[in-house]
Formats: sequence, C-alpha cells, structure tokens
Amino acid sequence: MAQVTDPRDGRIRSAVGEQVRRTKRFADETEPAALAILAVMALSLLGALVGFLAVSDWTIVPFAAFLASSAVGWVRYQEETAYLIALMMTVSTILILGLIVVFIFRESIPVIRYESATVYGITVPGLRMFIQPNWDAVSPPIRYSMVPMIHGTVMVTLIASAVAAPLGVSAALFLSEIAPATVREVVKPGVEILAGIPSIVYGFIGFTVLGPWASDQFQTTGQGSYLFVGIVVGLMALPTVVSVAEDALSSVPESMKSGSLAMGTTDWQTMTSITLPAAFSGVSAAVLLGVGRAIGETMAATVMLRGVPRLTEPLVNVFYGQETLTSIIARNYGEADGLQMDALFVAGVILFVTVLVISVGAQYIEWRMHKRLGGEI
Amino acid sequence: MAGAGRTDTRLVESETTETDAVAAVAVGLSAVLFALAVAALFGRVSLTGSLLGVQTVTLLGGLLTALGGTVIAFGVGSRFGYVETNPDPSAGLIAGFGAAVPWVVIGASVASQTLGLGAGVGVVAGVATGAVAFAATVLPREDLGSTVPLGALLGVTGLVFLTGAIGPTWVWELGWAQQAAITAEFLIPVSTLFSALYGGWASAKAYGGFGARGRHMGAYVLVYVNALSIVAFLFILVAFVVVQGIPGLLNGTEFGFGTGPTTSVFGVSVALPVSVPFLMNGVALFNDFQGVLPAIVGTVWLVVGAVVLAVPLGVGAALFLTEYAERGRFTQVVEVATNGLWSTPSIVFGLFGFAFLIPRFGNGKSLLSGMITLGFMLLPLVVITSREAMLSVPDEYRDASAALGVSKWQTIRSVVLPAALPGVVTGVILGVGRIAGETAPILLTMAGGTFVPGSQTADVIGGFQFTSAPPFVANPELLQATSALPYQLYALITAGVGASSNVGNADEFRWATALVLLVVVLSFYAIGIATRYYFRRRLRHT
Amino acid sequence: MSENTTPRTETEPQTETATTGTDQPLTTTAGESVEQTRDEWREYDFRGEAKMTVEDLDVHYGEDHALKGVSMEIPEKSVTALIGPSGCGKSTYLRCLNRMNDRISSASIDGSVKLDGEEIYQDGVNLVELRKRVGMVFQSPNPFPKSIRENIAYGPKKHGDLDTGLLARLLNRSDAEERDELVERCLRDAALWDEVSDRLDDNALGLSGGQQQRLCIARCLSVDPEIILMDEPASALDPIATAKIEDLIDDLSEEYTVVIVTHNMQQAARISDQTAVFLTGGELVEYGETDQVFENPRSERVEDYITGKFG
Repeated sequence: MAQVTDPRDGRIRSAVGEQVRRTKRFADETEPAALAILAVMALSLLGALVGFLAVSDWTIVPFAAFLASSAVGWVRYQEETAYLIALMMTVSTILILGLIVVFIFRESIPVIRYESATVYGITVPGLRMFIQPNWDAVSPPIRYSMVPMIHGTVMVTLIASAVAAPLGVSAALFLSEIAPATVREVVKPGVEILAGIPSIVYGFIGFTVLGPWASDQFQTTGQGSYLFVGIVVGLMALPTVVSVAEDALSSVPESMKSGSLAMGTTDWQTMTSITLPAAFSGVSAAVLLGVGRAIGETMAATVMLRGVPRLTEPLVNVFYGQETLTSIIARNYGEADGLQMDALFVAGVILFVTVLVISVGAQYIEWRMHKRLGGEI
Repeated sequence: MAGAGRTDTRLVESETTETDAVAAVAVGLSAVLFALAVAALFGRVSLTGSLLGVQTVTLLGGLLTALGGTVIAFGVGSRFGYVETNPDPSAGLIAGFGAAVPWVVIGASVASQTLGLGAGVGVVAGVATGAVAFAATVLPREDLGSTVPLGALLGVTGLVFLTGAIGPTWVWELGWAQQAAITAEFLIPVSTLFSALYGGWASAKAYGGFGARGRHMGAYVLVYVNALSIVAFLFILVAFVVVQGIPGLLNGTEFGFGTGPTTSVFGVSVALPVSVPFLMNGVALFNDFQGVLPAIVGTVWLVVGAVVLAVPLGVGAALFLTEYAERGRFTQVVEVATNGLWSTPSIVFGLFGFAFLIPRFGNGKSLLSGMITLGFMLLPLVVITSREAMLSVPDEYRDASAALGVSKWQTIRSVVLPAALPGVVTGVILGVGRIAGETAPILLTMAGGTFVPGSQTADVIGGFQFTSAPPFVANPELLQATSALPYQLYALITAGVGASSNVGNADEFRWATALVLLVVVLSFYAIGIATRYYFRRRLRHT
Repeated sequence: MSENTTPRTETEPQTETATTGTDQPLTTTAGESVEQTRDEWREYDFRGEAKMTVEDLDVHYGEDHALKGVSMEIPEKSVTALIGPSGCGKSTYLRCLNRMNDRISSASIDGSVKLDGEEIYQDGVNLVELRKRVGMVFQSPNPFPKSIRENIAYGPKKHGDLDTGLLARLLNRSDAEERDELVERCLRDAALWDEVSDRLDDNALGLSGGQQQRLCIARCLSVDPEIILMDEPASALDPIATAKIEDLIDDLSEEYTVVIVTHNMQQAARISDQTAVFLTGGELVEYGETDQVFENPRSERVEDYITGKFG
C-alpha cells in the first residue's frame, strides 16, 4: 500500500513545491507596491466573503475596500490586477458549487437524525426514510419517507428516457449525417428553440390539455399520470440528447466515413457500422445527460402531478401520478417549516447527488471517447 | 464465395417498374394511416363517426389489412422470383427484435385477457408468440423475413378492427386498486400508429429491393418521420399557445394617437400610440382590463441582475482557465465542477438560494435573492461557452502578438477577447433565454403574490437610498418580493379558476401570460441564433 | 456546444479554392487549346483496352471552376499517374471516377465518365456497385477503429458476401473460414501479412502509418475491385514506407487498373505507365506514356513544370 501511495505523495509534494517556487518568483519579479495592492484586494475580498457568510451588516466595508483597491490596481498595475481578478473569479465558481453542497447538506441534517432506524442493533441515520413508504407531515406518527418520491422520479425518468433516447439519437443522426445543408439550417435552430420553451409552458399545456384528455382516455379518477408527465419530460429532455449526440457524431473524422463509403457501403451501413460505434461513448453520454435533465425537471411535474406523496397501486400503475422528488419541493416549500422543510432539503440532496454523479460519469465517458479517437480533449 | 464471386448486380438499374410502384403505394398508404392515427389520437377524426362514407374504425381496419396484404404479397413474390430484388440471407437480429416486440404484446394480451387464462399464462404465451415472430423474421431469406411477420401483424390488427372485436366503445378495465382502463379511443389510434410505422418500414425495405439498399431505405423512412415529427411538434406547440393566448393579450387593445400611457423620453412626455392593457397594467379592482406589467418588469430586472452577476464572473473564470492556468488537474477540476453545476436541477438552486441567500437579505423573499440565484444558474453556461469561444481562437494569434513583445494581458485584451466575443455573446443570449423561463429557483427565493397590482411594479433605479447605519446603501425595491412571468403563470395555474375571478376571463388571462412568457423567452433565442448567423457570415466573408 | 454547423464536407472545396488563388498568375499562360492536347494523346497506342473513358468533364464547386473539359482514356491493368501542382484539380478528378464528389453538396459535375462503356453519371446508377468496382485509397490512412481482421472483412460483410454475425454462428453457417482466407490473401497482396499475421485481432489504429496505409490498400482489395484510385497514398509516409507502397503498386498493376494522384514527379516516373499532367486552373495539359511525357513533353508549360521552373 505504502509503495503505491508513495510516488503519488511525491508527485503532490513536488507539485506543491513547484507552486511555491512559482509564487515566490512572481513575488520577486513584481514591484512591492503592486504586491501590496494585490494583497489588499485579496484580503478585502476574503473579508467580504467572511462577513457575508456571518450575516454581518458590515460586509459592505471590506467589499468597498476591494472595489477601491481593484480600481487603483487597474489604473497602476493592470497586468497583475487582471490576473488576480481572473483567478478570483475562477475560485468563486468552485466556491459556489462548494457552498451549494454545504448549505443543502447542512439543512437536511436534522431530519436525517430524526429518521434514524436501527438495523441489527446499529442505528443508521436517515435509513427510515428509505425503508417505509409513508410521508405524513401532519398527523402523528410524523414520517418523512422518500420512497414514494423516488418511485415517482424513477417512473418519470424511465418513461422520459424511453421517449428521449431513441428519438433524440435518431434526430442527431439526421442532423449530423443525413440532412442536406439547407434542411439542417432550419431543423437545428428548431431543436434549440425546443430547448428554450419554458418548462412551465409545457406544464401548463400538460395541465390544461393533456391531463383532462388522459384522465378521459384511461378513465382514471382525477388527473395526473406518470405516463404523460414522463412523455412531456422526455420531450423536454430531447434537445439535450440531440445536441450532445450530434456533437459526438460530428466529431467522428470525415475520413473514416468516406473510407467506408468508398468501399461501396450505403450511408446507413456507414452510420451503423462506423459512425455510431466510433461515437458510441459520446452518444451514451448524451443519453445520460438527457436522463439527468429528466430527473431534475421540476415545473412540468409539479403542475401535472397530483401532489399526494404515496406509492401508486400497483407500483406499475403509470396512469396515476403522485409526486416526484422535484415536485414535492416546489409544492411544499410554502407551508413547510422545521423538519418538513429539512425533509425537502433531503429530496434536494438526493437530486443533486444523483445528477452530479450522472454528469461526472457522462464527462468521463466523453473524455475517454476523445482520447480513443486521438483528438484533442 | 468471399468477395470472389461477382453478384449479378448491374451497374445501371432499369427504370421504375410496376413492382416498384406497388411498394411505393404501400409506403404512401402507411403515410396516410400514420396521419389518420395522429388525427384520431387528438380527436380530429372521430372514431365513432365516419370518413368518406365508411365507419372510421372499419376504414382503418380495411387500410391496415390492405397494407398488410400488399407487404406480404411483395415478400412472397420476391421469394418466388416474380419480383426482382436483391435480398440478404437473413433480415438480421434487429429486425427480429423489432418484429418480436408487438407480437409479444399481442400474444400476452390475447392469452391473458381475451382467453382469460391469467397473467402467468399470458407471459408465457407472449414470449412464445414473440419467439415465433422472431424466428419467422430471422430464419427465412430477408425478403420473406422482413415482410411476412410484419404483414401478418398489420393484417391481424386490421382484421380485429374490421370484425369489430375492438370497436369504438371497447374498454379494458385493468382492475387495479387505483382504477384505470384502456379504452378504444386510445388503443385504436395508437395501434394504428405503430402498425403504420411498421408497415412503412417494411414497404420501404421492399421498395429498396431489400439487401443493404432496402435497409437503408427502411431506416431513412423512420429517421425522416422522426425529424419531421419533431419539427411539426415544435410548430404545433408554438402555434397552439399563440392561438390560445392572442384573445387575452389583445383584450382592450386600442390603436391611435394618444391612447397609450404616457412616458417621458429625455424629459419630454410622449403618449404611446398604442395601448395594450395586458402588457401595461397590473391587477387592480378598478382596472377595465387586467394585466401582467409587474411580472414583465420583474422578469426584465431578474435577467439584468443575473447577467450583471454571471457574465463578468463567468468570462473572468473562462479567461483564467484558458489563458493563465496550465492544463492540468486544476483546470480539469474546474471543468468538471462547471459541467456539474450546469446539470444541477434548477430546484436545487432554489433550495440553495432559500438556505443561503434569504437569511442574508432581510429574511424574506426578495428580487435580489432571485437575481443572484439565477446568476448562479447562468454562471456555468457562461463559463462553458466563453471557454469554448476562447479555445477556438487560434494560437497563432497569441503567438503573433507575443512575438511583437506585447504583454500577456495586452494580448488577451486586444487579440483574444475580441476574437472570442461573438461566441461569448451568443452563449450569453441563449443562456439568458434559458433562465428567463425558469420558475423553480425563483419560486423559493423571490416570488410574491398571484395577482400583483401595478403599483408594485419594481422601480429598482429609483429605489436606491443612502443610510447612515451599515450597510449604508439600501434599496427596498431589491429586497421586496415581486413577480416574474414564469412564476406568475405557475401561480395562476395553482390558484385555480375560482380564485382568479377578479381578472375577468381567467382562462384567457392565463393563456395570454403563457404567450407573453413564450414570446419573451423565444425572442432571446431568436436574437441569439440570429447573432450567431451574423457573426458566422461575417467571418466567412472576411 | 452547437457551434459546428458548417458542414464539414464543404471545407474541402474551400481549401481547393484557396490554393488555386495563390497560383493565379499561371492561368494567364493557359493559351494552348484543350482540343489540341486531346487530339495529341489520342494518337498514343496505350498498351491495354480503355477501362474508363472520360469526356469533357467539368466540375464546379459553387462559383469555382475546378475542372475544365477534361477528357482522358484510362487503359486497363496499368498504372496511370496524375501529377500537377496543388490545387490543379487532380484530386477532384480522381474523386469523380467513383462519384465520391457526390458527398460535397456544392459540387456540380458535367460531362461523361464511362466504366467499361457504361455511363456512371446517369439516373439509376447503383453507387454501391460502382464503388465496389472502383475502389479508393485516401491520402492519409483511414483504418476503421476495429481489429485488423474486421477492417479487411468489413466490405465483403457489408455486401452480404460474408456472414460471421451472431445469428450465422448460431445457425452454424458462419463464414469464419472464408473470412480468414480472405484476410490472409488481401494482407499478402498488400505485403502486410508477415508484419501483422500474429496480431490480427489488435486494433488497426495501433499500426504505424505505413502499415495503416497498406492495410487500407488490403481493405480496398477485399471487395475485388477492377480499378483502384489512390489519392497521394504515400504523402504522409516516410521514405521506407513509401518505397514499400511503390513496390506494391507495381505488383497490383498486374491485376488491377491503378490510377494514382501524386505531386512527387520522381514517384510518377518510377511507377506509372502513363502520366497525365494537370496544371493550375483544372486543365489537363498533357497526357501520354510516362517516358515520353517526362523526357520529351509536347507542351512548354509541362516542360517548365517537370524541370522545376515552377510548382
């Protein structure tokens, strides 16, 4: 074990050493006055951040100091100031992701404690949210189970993927390989516009038109069904799949495609035997990202579902739609407080972690594809 | 055999023959059936009524049977050499699975429901039927395999409709704890739709003479239908909202000099020559016509705030990553983080704003919290698109500038940024379109009431005040809850019809709100796409 | 994400345009009439029957006139070299012979190209059949990201001559043996067998550039073409690999009709039986037996080009 970690340790140490040397060189080469200004900028911004986190009314003072010192720096030492500001902006981007993680996890802790369950004598915090299916925020015993919402999200996502994946990949093939240039110039912006239609508009149409129609068709009591929420969400995830998959397909070198066509294959054979296999990882990343979109879709689900957090009976009954992880947050944030609000944060944590894992996975797959095709990352 | 024996394919094929025409007619028939199925699904064609003097269901059944018969006849004719084709030894596994799926459904439902043998037998029967269809597709030569099972599928479906086994009033109670049923209104159009797709696929293959070219034809038919459907879907969606929204939007609209509200331009009061109350009023008891002005203004301020926050941050970060940082662990981490942020669900941003921003801005929902939340959402998109734009600036530009002894920052400012500007601008505009329509984040951080009076229209510029106590600058307008178009639409939907009686025709009001929202968002997209075309054209011509 | 809408196929003619532009002054000397040169080469008695006959071939890429009234007869079982400065249209010409220019949407093609007396630019031409008979090897090696074996077997499989799929194996009618025979024969013909026989299942992208190019030639042979078009097949290779490819071309001409584009004049002189010289502007200026073209060209411009006064 030690042998394995040692070289890595060494690498990190040498990287850190390199960083320190570079910083020192930078400090040596830069005028003392410029260094002082940069230090004031960094410290004052740090102060402002601390003040903001501590909910202080005095946050404005260090922030004003930051603005003033940046202004001075900009006039006198533009080169160094620009570098520092760009660096700070990069750091703040990462900081935001960090803050999201910290804050939504922090808010969800109380209810995780409350919903502890004991298995084989070991108390596992939060376990009860996943082993019993009751959500009841009003009458004792108060229970916040995530099971019905996870069930709903899974149902919606499955249906949405069944819609978005085949249609999206086929449309991407059309755009990247089949469509004549003029048709592509029309269809491609069309797909982008489809991505732009606000989810609440989809939800509104789903609620006013599709909901009553579906309840009539399937003779259900009341409206709201996972089937149609899934279809609508699938259509909303479609543009993501199309544009990412199209990028992947276009990144397959043209020479490979011509090579196949010159062998006397049809365009379709070239697509299925050369282009799609070569772009396979990119296309699967596209489908994964589409799944991520479908999981996180909120407003259409909120408006079209029934808003009763319970399982459908039987579990495969797609003609009834109860609640998903996203919709329960959007529906209940208003009247919720205390533990119930914290339970909503748990739903948020589940969403965030799932989608983050999917996103990182998709990036890894894409990265491997680029490496395999020998292109630049 | 391999490669050595030249097949008898000729370089130049003969002109269109009668048999080609038969296959072409079958493709056309599938298209007609597809259109009829879609029309029936949306209730444009009544199943109980009649079309061309024939009962609709009978007509569908007859067409399906005819199509199925044609497809089979073509396949058999090809097998026995009456039709000249170029089939492969087998239709292949994919075609086999394609044919098996509908037959599994048919076998299972007939056994378990029509014959009443129960679910267990149903599954077995379904698998068995599917296996037979699979074998019938895969084992014979391609011309039989890709026509007979699918033709039979069409024939069976058609006969079921023709004989009235499934008529317009047919219902299948699922018998579930939560009551649901599959009705003929749903089943007939949907099964017709899928049958038409299968029929089109099989007849397109036949038209291409089977073999590689046949499969090419078959696949292209499906891909084209899909692309066409997506475009049609977009068109219908937008057209539907426009048609529904126009009456409410134009309610009480007047044209003519002096009809509109008065605004001052450079200190001169001017009365607008047009009055659209829906866009120019709030909701008040004594208004003749109610409107959504506060929501429009709220949306504008939201977008402005988000852009002011996200664009400098995002462009700065992208600049650092591409120009200063060396490619390595650090840039990779930032990339993964920004892509992760980009796919984070919007409601999670809402939760974050609720937990992080609200306690810091006066413990209540506020415009400022909304702006910052949306800014955070916009940020990753700005980083990603700016980075792409900067990476696509060729290194030669930088080298040329550096070779002249220009410092790094000067190079960035005078070479990289101008070259990357088009990409950044386009990306920002498209990103703005996306956040302008977001509801979930502002739901938790900003949004106020359902019907907002015109007096609550946010006046951010006039709201700045200076105070003697820290934080010295205050702007109550920024710290107040206000409305935005997407939220307003959500509130109108959830408020129900009863609560909205004070806006006259509530339904019109809602559709008009949806239309205004759609127009606002899509105009961002239109501008973004147009900008891209403009820059691209300019690049090409210089 | 969505920046890349420019069709990739359109970039090709654009580069062609750019290079034509830089050589502009040369077109002013294009005084000699095309008719005259054509009549001259018709006097030659080439050693084989005409395999392909090209008459008055004109190609436009949008505004750009890439080929001007080219006429030429390609005799069978010989090596025909096309030489000329870059941007002279020789690659465009080559791509017309198996209709690969159809992929470029802005290209418009007039004139006639006949393969064994049959017009290939007419309605109802089966492109699959045409390209099976007229194979092509590209400038830079473009093996598929598959194993060496699968690269060779690709064409016959797609044409239904070989079936080694899952189904065929289940039904016990897999052509695995035929496939392996074919792979060995093609690799031997392409002089690659000895180098790769022990790693046929390795990914072809792991081969060296020269090996990849010979693999592409072997792949081209697998569908048993009559004509092999080669677009500067050795331009991306080192001298040793180039020598191997040249030897290979010499062997191939026993059985196949080879048309090769090159801008290496020594190479053309070494390997070809007849040579066609294209000069800037897309004109065929001289066409004849290689020795004669190089030693005693009829046109002054060709002499200038060959002796290195330009190009």
